Amino acid sequence: MAGKGKEHNSRTESRTSWIPAPVAAIASLIIPGLGQVLGLSIQRGLLLFASSAAIITMLGWRIKVLAHLEATAMAMLGKAFDRRPFFVGLILACLIVLWLWNAWDAYRQAAERRRGGFGIFALVLFSFFALGWQISEIDIYRMIREFPDATKPFAKVIWPWRAAVKREAILIVAEATIQVPCSDSPPPYPEEVAGQPFLKADPNCGELSRQDENNQIVAGTVTRLSGRNFRPDTRTEIWWSDPLGNEFQVRQGGEYVSLMTDERGAFEMDLIMPYRLIPPSSAAVQIHKVQARQVASMGALKASEPLLLTIERMVETIFMGMMATLFGILFSIPVSFLAARNIMAGSWVTMTIYYLTRTVLNIIRAIEPLIWAIIAVVWVGLGPFAGIIALTIHSIAALGKLYSEAIEAIDPGPIEAVQATGASRLQTIMFAVVPQMIAPFVSFSIYRWDINVRMSTIIGLVGGGGVGFILIQYIRLLDYRAAGIAVWFIAVTVAVLDYVSSEIRQRFI
Amino acid sequence: MLEIKNLTKVYNDGTVALKDVSFEVREGEFLVIIGLSGSGKSTLLRCINRLIDPTEGRILWDGEDITAAEGDQLRQVRRQIGMIFQHFNLVKRSSVLMNVLSGRLGYTRPAASLLQRFPARDREMAWKALERVGITDQARKQARELSGGQQQRVGIARALMQQPRMILADEPVASLDPVLAHSILGYLEQLNKEERITVLCSLHYLDLVQRYSSRVIGLRAGRIVYRGSREEIRRMSDEEFKDIYGEEAVRVSAGLTGAGQEEK
Repeated sequence: MAGKGKEHNSRTESRTSWIPAPVAAIASLIIPGLGQVLGLSIQRGLLLFASSAAIITMLGWRIKVLAHLEATAMAMLGKAFDRRPFFVGLILACLIVLWLWNAWDAYRQAAERRRGGFGIFALVLFSFFALGWQISEIDIYRMIREFPDATKPFAKVIWPWRAAVKREAILIVAEATIQVPCSDSPPPYPEEVAGQPFLKADPNCGELSRQDENNQIVAGTVTRLSGRNFRPDTRTEIWWSDPLGNEFQVRQGGEYVSLMTDERGAFEMDLIMPYRLIPPSSAAVQIHKVQARQVASMGALKASEPLLLTIERMVETIFMGMMATLFGILFSIPVSFLAARNIMAGSWVTMTIYYLTRTVLNIIRAIEPLIWAIIAVVWVGLGPFAGIIALTIHSIAALGKLYSEAIEAIDPGPIEAVQATGASRLQTIMFAVVPQMIAPFVSFSIYRWDINVRMSTIIGLVGGGGVGFILIQYIRLLDYRAAGIAVWFIAVTVAVLDYVSSEIRQRFI
Repeated sequence: MLEIKNLTKVYNDGTVALKDVSFEVREGEFLVIIGLSGSGKSTLLRCINRLIDPTEGRILWDGEDITAAEGDQLRQVRRQIGMIFQHFNLVKRSSVLMNVLSGRLGYTRPAASLLQRFPARDREMAWKALERVGITDQARKQARELSGGQQQRVGIARALMQQPRMILADEPVASLDPVLAHSILGYLEQLNKEERITVLCSLHYLDLVQRYSSRVIGLRAGRIVYRGSREEIRRMSDEEFKDIYGEEAVRVSAGLTGAGQEEK
């Protein structure tokens, strides 16, 4: 290392420093890098100046962000230091060390003409990363602290299958008639039919709860409800139906009345007849009804709506990828010839077309399919067609480049050999060009199909159709299980496709 | 049968590849062209079947001027002239059989060959050609799976499909080791002697030139600097040889004496 350094010295000996070493050090103390520039280590000096300036600017910006309400610079610094003592302290320390080191560096550069010494740049780099940590709002503490809250949705996404199936829900209802108020001819008790749910209210007439002048509730008659032949061990709700046909779930003490049936499907409870406004025009004797309701899930397991929808969208996604690949191939084949140097090398006109095509392809490729999708949604509206347009545009650019490179890589030897046999131009293409092109064309096309299906899973996030479209909806509805189903389908499809495409490509290469 | 008159080729970048080259090829000859790489041998051979268009001069095939031949006329001439190459120039992803069959394209209607179909007669002929160079068992393989020597034999079979009157061989053994070199040149010699196919071959090594040629032309910087008969080339010393070649000349020091000793 030393030997190498000396060699370098002897070459740069002629470019001695303009100024003595102490002056260089002082110059660098005033403006970082100035001493080095004057000492003719110009690049080093400029680099140090630019780095220090960048660090100071960014520190200033972050301090402003942290303490934007303060009036003076010092107050800002103080508040920022209060809020983020470690960050502000660290960067300030780095700056001070950098400043002093830079002065010493200027001295050494001027005095010894020694090259190397990259420690100072390591410090610059460290400062940049420290700034980057703060600017990009990395917050490990928050990540750990909020992890427990995130586990619930995570668990739903990771294992969402409870939402993938459902059973038909059926309503089991039995009702009893209640006469308000009691009259001379109370209604008969209903008869119990074996096997049918049955509800009896005893007594089956009485007074409803009502409000007195002071708006106090006066409790109504207590009636004993006894139910039989319900589903055992199932939550049962008590509902009330007034003569107008309005149904509501009865509340007592502020709580909805519900109970569990016993193992034989029977229950007994006391119910205070509820408060109900009755229209004054109604008859003196009214018939109310009390109902016991059970919601039971019965019947065969069925695929849930999110599952079915996800499958539908997944199929749509795969076809989106296929259609986009098809159109991409169709359009990119002619384009690829325009972008192949060996084909277009003829004259300046063709070379202009070549450069133009290349440039356009590069620009199109630089814009992500997601952005093309946003543009396409404006054009043809939400849905898979917008996604297909976006993916097609990107595929043309990507395949055009790959194909044109395959064309450029054609071996001219066989073409020459086939021409020499007396073959016509068409025959030469069929026998010498096409066989060379098939393998890369197939390989690139399948690779692109793979990419397109992968892309079409997320292109729905911006309205481009496919499974991403419902994924983003489920996430926004906080329906993490449904979202989890979509994520699972995407993962499995992409993995399978990845495997299949690499298998096919291997066969062809 | 072939007459080259004052042939000059200047490439677009200004390189003068051939300068005023004139010579005649007689029926049944084994004419060898020697010269350093870059001396214009490949250009000369490619001018003959018009893979490269000469800048000046004339090419006469059976007395007919083909310097500016196009379309059918060029096709007719080309199919009589087979060509084999230093790097074999096979379509590597096509089968050996298909490569051999492509030698027949000059005789097939362009429309018919679009589907890569050939008449039964041509297929039979291809199998015979493969048999002749001893690689029938490789016919279904892709050309790239074959070794260098085997690939060159496919190249010969492809040339044979043209039922050529002349074979142009551009450094046919430069990418092969000495044993294979003798094997390949042995085939050419056999075709030359038995079928009376004229051979025009560029070669690098003096031993091979002395062993196979019936006449020699030496090229240097695009000009003919040497003409010699079979006897003259056999008497040629290394010094004279180096005169044509420059200092880089090498002899193949393999102790092989003749053809027929193949890698079987």
